[in-house]
Amino acid sequence: MAAELLDRIDELHLRAVETDWIPQIINHIRQLIDQGQPRQTWPQSWHWNWRDKVDRINGLLAFQTFAIMCEGQLQGLMQMNSARSLCRLPEQAGKHLAYVDYVETAPWNRPNIASKPRYRGVGITMIRAAIEHSRDLGFHGRIGLHSLPQSETFYANCGMTDLGIDGTYENLRYFEMTSSQADALSG
Amino acid sequence: MKKTMTLNLTDAEMQVLQDLCDKKDLSKTAVLRQALRLYQLVDVRLQQGGKLFFEDETKKEKAELMVL
Repeated sequence: MAAELLDRIDELHLRAVETDWIPQIINHIRQLIDQGQPRQTWPQSWHWNWRDKVDRINGLLAFQTFAIMCEGQLQGLMQMNSARSLCRLPEQAGKHLAYVDYVETAPWNRPNIASKPRYRGVGITMIRAAIEHSRDLGFHGRIGLHSLPQSETFYANCGMTDLGIDGTYENLRYFEMTSSQADALSG
Repeated sequence: MKKTMTLNLTDAEMQVLQDLCDKKDLSKTAVLRQALRLYQLVDVRLQQGGKLFFEDETKKEKAELMVL
């Protein structure tokens, strides 16, 4: 099955979030509530509103969005920002990086929601797209992001450096990737 | 689709551009494209009523940057 990476989130993708993703996420949260599970077990991106996010950055060159489609269904979304922050790792401090504002996979692909995820590799495809975008910007593959707790292991497994909890940004853990780490992941 | 343009810079401007390239590990094109992205972002935020400040935490100084 061929997946397609698109360098723009459009109206069809936003509608797919609203009609396909959100009902499944809400249904999953209802099940967790019925089972008496604590709120920490909810998908941590459940409150994200992609339409608002895309509206806020409309027309701004500093932002780039991506969507992954497969078999006519939306499988993942990502928003990147090239004007948010500079590198923090000592070996590349002060240099530019492409920052991943948000990345999300369809609920049916998430192991913590679906017992049998439909597609694997959406997250890593997005990270490779982020690296390629960084290269297009002339930033040599350097990327950075703050991770939701449920995704920390994934970013560590991508080879990103964990710089610890960032007290200036919602106490989320900050990860950064160097050019050589990017080369190792994406070639 | 990318388009090519010729840019005329003074020696001083070219020197600043080269210094930024060296410091930031960017090509000249990458520096100018980044400058355009930042300029547009600042301009839009100012049009929306935002203000741009530089803050020196050690001196407890905060100065508004006027973008004309």
